[in-house]
Parts: sequence; structure tokens; C-alpha cells
Amino acid sequence: MNSFDIELVSVSKSFAGIPVVQDLNLQIPRGEFVSILGPSGCGKTTTLNMIAGFNTPSSGDVRVRGKSQNRIPPERRNLGLVFQNYALFPHMTVAENVGFGLRMRGTPKAEIGKAVDAALRSVRLDGFGSRYPKALSGGQQQRVALARAIAPKPSVLLLDEPLSNLDLKLREAMRIELKEIQEQLDMTFVYVTHDQEEAMAMSDRIVVMWQGAIAQQGEPASIYRNPATRFVADFVGRSNILSVRRSIPGPTFLELCIDGTQIVLRSDCAGNNAVQSCCIRPESIALLNGSDSGTGPQNRLDGVVRRIVNLGAHVELLVEVATGLSLMVLVPSSRSSLVPELASTVTLGIDPQDVQVLSD
Amino acid sequence: MNRVLTCLFWLAIALVLTFITLPLAVVVAASLSPSSAVTFLPWEWTTVWYGNLLADRWLQPFLLSVKIATVVAGISGVLGVLAAYAVVYERLPGSTAIMAGLLSPLSVPQIVKGVAIVLFLSIIGLQGVLGTPALIAAHVVLALPFVTRMAATSLANFDGNLDRAAQSLGATKRQRLQHIVLPMIKPGVLSGVTFAFIISFNNIPLSVFLVRPGDTTLPIAVINYLEYSLDPVMAAVNVASMIFILTVIFLFEKVGGFSAQLHGGSK
Repeated sequence: MNSFDIELVSVSKSFAGIPVVQDLNLQIPRGEFVSILGPSGCGKTTTLNMIAGFNTPSSGDVRVRGKSQNRIPPERRNLGLVFQNYALFPHMTVAENVGFGLRMRGTPKAEIGKAVDAALRSVRLDGFGSRYPKALSGGQQQRVALARAIAPKPSVLLLDEPLSNLDLKLREAMRIELKEIQEQLDMTFVYVTHDQEEAMAMSDRIVVMWQGAIAQQGEPASIYRNPATRFVADFVGRSNILSVRRSIPGPTFLELCIDGTQIVLRSDCAGNNAVQSCCIRPESIALLNGSDSGTGPQNRLDGVVRRIVNLGAHVELLVEVATGLSLMVLVPSSRSSLVPELASTVTLGIDPQDVQVLSD
Repeated sequence: MNRVLTCLFWLAIALVLTFITLPLAVVVAASLSPSSAVTFLPWEWTTVWYGNLLADRWLQPFLLSVKIATVVAGISGVLGVLAAYAVVYERLPGSTAIMAGLLSPLSVPQIVKGVAIVLFLSIIGLQGVLGTPALIAAHVVLALPFVTRMAATSLANFDGNLDRAAQSLGATKRQRLQHIVLPMIKPGVLSGVTFAFIISFNNIPLSVFLVRPGDTTLPIAVINYLEYSLDPVMAAVNVASMIFILTVIFLFEKVGGFSAQLHGGSK
């Protein structure tokens, strides 16, 4: 007996000969909030459907609590499911919707009533039981869907882009609420999304998928700080991705010669001659005063401010550091005294630990 | 400008409605005429002709028509739902061909169908079923495409996620059919069944070949009566059957009308 709620063992799936998921290995420990993050068509929904049982893997094994599920139909897997379009039964009241799973199992009426009340309470919809879904707002409908999925106490909850149909404010509020509900119930959540902010905000662990395979997995902060591939750096957060012509392993630093320029950047990463690209997050680039010297960051670049975009909380600068090479720099608006003039010359400082080497 | 358009809009609606209802108004007026000749816009009114409706001559055919239409509605409802379920929901191989086959009776003129059925029954030596059994079978053939089509359309519009949601909640196939699929397609099926009832109740071209003398459906009784006389009793029969059909439509609407649930409100 191991402590993984869900295991995918070299799972592949193709539709009409076209591979959608390829040799996927994934282990999801009990009680974890895991997000499967990726652009549309990356195979994340197919992966979720294989866990739920709506798609059968072409090869490989899906296990729930150590038990192979390949021959078990979806209705016997005891997994909760929440859809993007809510998928509430329109001809049933909220209470009938939430009680549906237990009713199908033949649970006694009194028990169903209690479970429905508890589930509605946990999504803060007590008193809505007698309404019909169409009488509720989108956010309320999605919370009913959530209550319906958790009422039969499934071992795992699968969520397929559940917040995508909601507006931004509600989406942000629901992120926090979802995370709280997950912690309260101590339930394993597998959350499929294309929204990297959503995944960052809620997950214990993020699995980034691309082209049917896992591009990288880890804690949100480590994925953001140390993206492994060019795709992850580009997809998760904003970044300056630079092509590397040549890399020279030094005694303590890796020296990266940036393609098409004379620029050499030092990186703390371990690497070899084959490094193709590197990434620098825009907020980790500092604007240095002329007097600042020596002890500061070790990569110093002079450049000209070509564009200033006010983003509210931040100001985004586009600084041309060499012909054909501009870096995006993010400066907090609260330090507006630091924001330079358009076309002025600035010095950028980049700590070697913020220069992340990427593999393709 | 807008005012003029609005006026034209309502005028158009009024004209269309008049066009549709005026012939009916003529029949209603004729049924109330005190003269035994059929007249339109009589100056006096009487309901005396309606008294004749309870005579066996009209009551028996009416009851037979109701009986046949009810059975036809039931049978074609069940068969239509099953056919649509197999073709649309289970996606049987060759479903397009199956559907085309199910709808093919629509393409044969009813008179031709009537002759064909009589010939068929006599060739296989089953003239004995003429009358109620043959009428029911023939009307089912006629009504089935409508029910199947309606049920198929409802099923095609059915959100598969509802089914998946129910499945993830532990509902077996039978439970999903009973609690999710059938209730969701109920309005479509009920309108199909209503059509089936009316198609059977009003049918002449098929029935005329299949009734047994002395045991006819209401439309055939009307045809027979018209051969010898045209009087306000005729009009009264028609008005009564019109009112009956409207009542049937209304009742089916009531049963199937969960528009309140679909558009909000609470229980």
C-alpha cells in the first residue's frame, strides 16, 4: 500500500493514430492539490478523462490508490468531477443535484438530507436547496457543481477548467475558496487549467504539460523560479528568453554568449556547451544608479529605454541593450522615482542566480 | 418611422392569423346556424346541432379514433425514443442509413401506402386484421418518423457532460437513462407524441382503406356523411373535434411544460 491516490504509469493515448498523450508518468499523493497546466491541445483534458475513465489509455496503466482502473467504468471509480460548463441537471433543484450521487447509491433519505446540507454549507450556499440551477448566477452554479461532486465523499476530485466561465473578480475569489475547501476536506484535487495564475495561486504542485508529455513538474515557486525548458519559461509567467550562441563552463559561473551580440552573461546554473537558451524574469532585473558598483549584481548591461508601459502596479520598460536585443524590465510603480525617461540610458543589473539556463 | 414599422409588423401578424383562422371561424359560425342549410354569418344562433353529437353515429367513431390515436401515440412514442436512443446516443454503426430508413415512410404518399398495406395484407392472407389492428399498425408507420425525428433532435442537443457528470456520481447506464436522459428529452418526445396522436386522429388517406364497414374512425364517418348531406351537424362535429384536439395539445403542453424549471423559479 503506498500513499499515492493516483498514479499514471507510462500512459499513452492516441485518437485515430494521432498521439495525444505520450508515455506519461505521474504520481499524485493523497491530499495534494495538483494542477495540470498547459495550453489547449496539450493533452491535459485527455489525461483527466483517462483518470475519470471516459477515455481508455491506448497503453499504460491508470491506478487509483494502487488499484488498476483500466477495466473499471467511470461510475465505479468514486471520483468527483467538476466541469467548465457546470453540467448541472436543469430539471432538478439544487438539493436534488447535490444529493444525486448518494441517491444513485441508495443512501437513506435522512442521510442524503444531512450530506446535502453539509455540502451546501461548505460551498456557502445554505438555503439555496429548493432553487433550480437556472435561477443562480454562474459562480453559484459552479459552487453547486462543486457541492454535488463532494457530497458523495469521493477519494479524488477532478476539476476541468472550472473557473474559466466566470469573470475575473469572481475567478480570483473562487481560487481562494477552492483552496480552502480542499484543505478543509483534505481531499486530493486534480485541477486542469490553461491559466498559469490560477495554477500558481492554488496548487501544491504544478504539472506543466506540452505536446502530450510532462514538460516540468514541481512546486509553483520552483517552476516559476527555475523553468527547465524554453516552453515552460515562456508559458508560465513572463520572461526574457535569450538565445545562447556558446556557453563556457567557468570555475564558479557558466558564461553565456548571447546570440548576435557581444553580451556575455554569467549564470549560477550548471550547464555545458550545448546550452541553447536562457531566461531572465523581467522583475529580477534591477535598475542601477551610476554610483552603484562592485558589490551589486555581477551582470551589468547598459541600454536605452525604448518603450514604457504603465501596468498599474508595475511599469514595464523595454530596454535595448544591444542591436536587436531588448529586455523587458518590470519596476514597481511605488518606486516611480526610479522610472527613467523615454530614450534615456540606464544600467541594468542581473544577478547570476536569476539567469536560468533552459533546455529545449 | 419606428412607429410605422411596428404598425406594419402587427398588421402582418394580424393578417396571417386571420388567414389561418378564418376558415375555422366559418365552420364555427355554420355549426351555430339555425337553418339546416350551411350558411355563414347567420343572423340567429342555436346550439341545437351539438345535441346530435352524442348519437351513436358520431360517438362510436369518436371513441374508436381516440382509442386508436392513444395506442398509436403510445407505441410510436416508445419505438421512437428507442430508435433515436440507439441511433443518436449509442451511435450505432450505419446510424445515418438507419435514420434514413426510419424516416422513409414520409416519402411515400399516404394513398399509395394505404393501397400497399391492403395489398400486402391480402397477399399474406391477413385480411382478418383489417379494422383496428391494421389501423393502429398503419398509423404507427405514419407517425413514427415524427416521434423519432423529435426524439433524435432532443438527444442530439443533449449535453454529454450531464451524462458524464451523472456517471462520475455513480449512476449506472439504466439510472442515467431514467433520471437524466429521459427527463431531458421529455419535451421533445412529448411534442412528437402529440403529433402522433393528432396524425392518427385526423387521418383519412390511410384509414379509408383499412376501416371495417360499420366500425369507422371519426374522419371516415365524416367523409361518409358528407357523401349524402352537408348540414350544420357536420360543422358541429368538426368544431367538437377541433376543440378536442386543442385540449389534447394543451394537456401535453402542461405535462411536458417544465419551461418554468428551465427558466428559473423554484420548487
